[in-house]
Amino acid sequence: MRASLLLLLLATSATADTATVVNGHARPGYAAFDDAASRLADVESCDPERLRPAFQAAYDAWMGVEHLHLGPSEEEGRSLAVLFWPDPKGTGAKAQAALLKADPATLTIDGMAQQSVAARGLSGLERLLYPEKALPADPCPLIQITIDDLARQAEIMAAAWTSYGEILLSAGQTGNDRFLKPEEATQALFTQLATGLEFVADRRIGRPLGSFDKPRPDLAEGHASGRALANITLSLQALRDLAASLSPDSPKTLAAFDHAIDLAGALNDPNLDGITDPQGWLKLEILQQAVRSTRDTAIAEIGPALGVELGFNSQDGD
Amino acid sequence: MQRRTFLATLAASLAPRLTWADIGAPAFLAAGKRGEAFFLHGLSATGTSLFGIPLPGRGHAAAAHPRIAEAVAFARRPGTFALVIDCATGETRHRLTPPEGMQFNGHGAYSADGSLLMTSEVVAESSEGRIGLWDTARYARLTDWPSHGIGPHEVKRLADGRLAVANGGIRTDPVDRTKLNIPDMAPNLTLLAADGTLLDQVEFPDMRQNSIRHLALSGDAIAFAMQWEGDPSEPVPQLGLWTPGTAPTLCTPPEAEAFTLQGYAGSIAATPDRILITSPKGGAVMLFDSRGTHVATHHRPDLCGAATTGAGFTVTDGGGAIWSATDDALTPLAADQTQWDNHLVSLS
Repeated sequence: MRASLLLLLLATSATADTATVVNGHARPGYAAFDDAASRLADVESCDPERLRPAFQAAYDAWMGVEHLHLGPSEEEGRSLAVLFWPDPKGTGAKAQAALLKADPATLTIDGMAQQSVAARGLSGLERLLYPEKALPADPCPLIQITIDDLARQAEIMAAAWTSYGEILLSAGQTGNDRFLKPEEATQALFTQLATGLEFVADRRIGRPLGSFDKPRPDLAEGHASGRALANITLSLQALRDLAASLSPDSPKTLAAFDHAIDLAGALNDPNLDGITDPQGWLKLEILQQAVRSTRDTAIAEIGPALGVELGFNSQDGD
Repeated sequence: MQRRTFLATLAASLAPRLTWADIGAPAFLAAGKRGEAFFLHGLSATGTSLFGIPLPGRGHAAAAHPRIAEAVAFARRPGTFALVIDCATGETRHRLTPPEGMQFNGHGAYSADGSLLMTSEVVAESSEGRIGLWDTARYARLTDWPSHGIGPHEVKRLADGRLAVANGGIRTDPVDRTKLNIPDMAPNLTLLAADGTLLDQVEFPDMRQNSIRHLALSGDAIAFAMQWEGDPSEPVPQLGLWTPGTAPTLCTPPEAEAFTLQGYAGSIAATPDRILITSPKGGAVMLFDSRGTHVATHHRPDLCGAATTGAGFTVTDGGGAIWSATDDALTPLAADQTQWDNHLVSLS
């Protein structure tokens, strides 16, 4: 009783926006990723054909929370260990090549945690399940340990959100050294919305978009596994959910999201390969502009509604 | 000069000057914003404001006279003025204006005896760096020296009087701060003799888009903090160490934390055995040992100002909080409504 009363007090002290994000967005999102990753780990096979559906489902689930760069995902480089992208120097492939040739007996789950984050996680698995050229050794042991490591990271994050969620929910209370005022938790979540949209526009869309003269669909996130457009769409949907959780009465922002999501759907180009055609390129650029405009709208509409701004120093730069 | 002005100037220069000790021995100076108003604050070691002096606009950094309770507040870049503030009375003693065609570039440093002030400046049209020299008796402009680079930012005086200059390498539009030369920028770290003679210089040809911007002294080494202007997906270090006469080293965090600072260090401070850099963009501080090995990372949004108190670190953030930083944790010292600006200046 006493514990539940305490929880009630904690829950009521946070602002409504924080509580909705923690309980309706972040915690369910990490739980869904944990479920999907453990289902992938349950597939008793090394056959890429059999693993791919569960791999795709786990990747889908990660797109639901990938934008949350705070708390458990930022500790010990976990978000990088789940998805290391972009990797312009090919760090992951190099580190993974060494692991492929390693004695399988040396591949342990604890050992994986010490390996390069670039070699692990979804991008590591993608190279093994959708290889562009023949792999130099039997990938089975590495596939299995990479999946187990991924599932473990997912489990750790889902579990850690129990306590990290309480830190957000108790923002401003005595003893909370992480968030000194309730609005600091709100601001931290609002920042995730803005930076998440920047990441979609600048990287997920920007890297394949390249320039009009030199489109690079091959640089798209998830290109090898055919997910380039899905990743853009899923992250926009996840960010829309974050926006609606933070501030449900945000008609302009939600309309801007819907417009961008519609544009993504209308691309009808699952792997963005159509951007080598000028028409296709322009359509993707229009989507990029729509995502940037969604960010500006969210900052203008949701920021004042919540009484928060993006960081005083982080936005300044010097 | 008008007779009356001359007499007033004379009177001002003869009035007794209070020292930092006379006004309560603040540990730090920091610029901040409260509501829509801007201030320069003197802070105690525990983060309590001892005084707050209104500023006409957003401040960037301050330089403190080594003895007298007097500070120069620099506007944000590109700055056409700096204010010499009497921290005992809050009055502006002097308004410094760089020569025609020049702009202040955010930082300055006093000589050990306080008789000279050195300011980082650029030629507005070209961003060519200069170090302005001022006689602090009346804050008269004496001369300027080449900084031997483009876009100098922080300048730091070494104990023996030599001057380290972080030439950030970025040419900016004189009006709107737009960066004009990112593809071929070339930062360097320059060491000048006390008379402005070029003594030594290092640069990083493989990492020219890493702008060297802020400095701290770590034993014999100059610790320098950098801001990456290249592909944000490339992991690059934000900290380097240079002991003049030897090769500089770059201090890379563990791979899992390669992007924690988002390529951006906002401030740097050093004790005898630790170096701390802040990243408001990454919402984190990183601590390294004096050889440049990563020791710890702590997260907190919008942290930027950093300074030392004795053997410890104090950092400030844009949310209004002031923290003590150790290897183990960030511990809140004070929290208020003032949003702390980029830099915290130690008076010790």
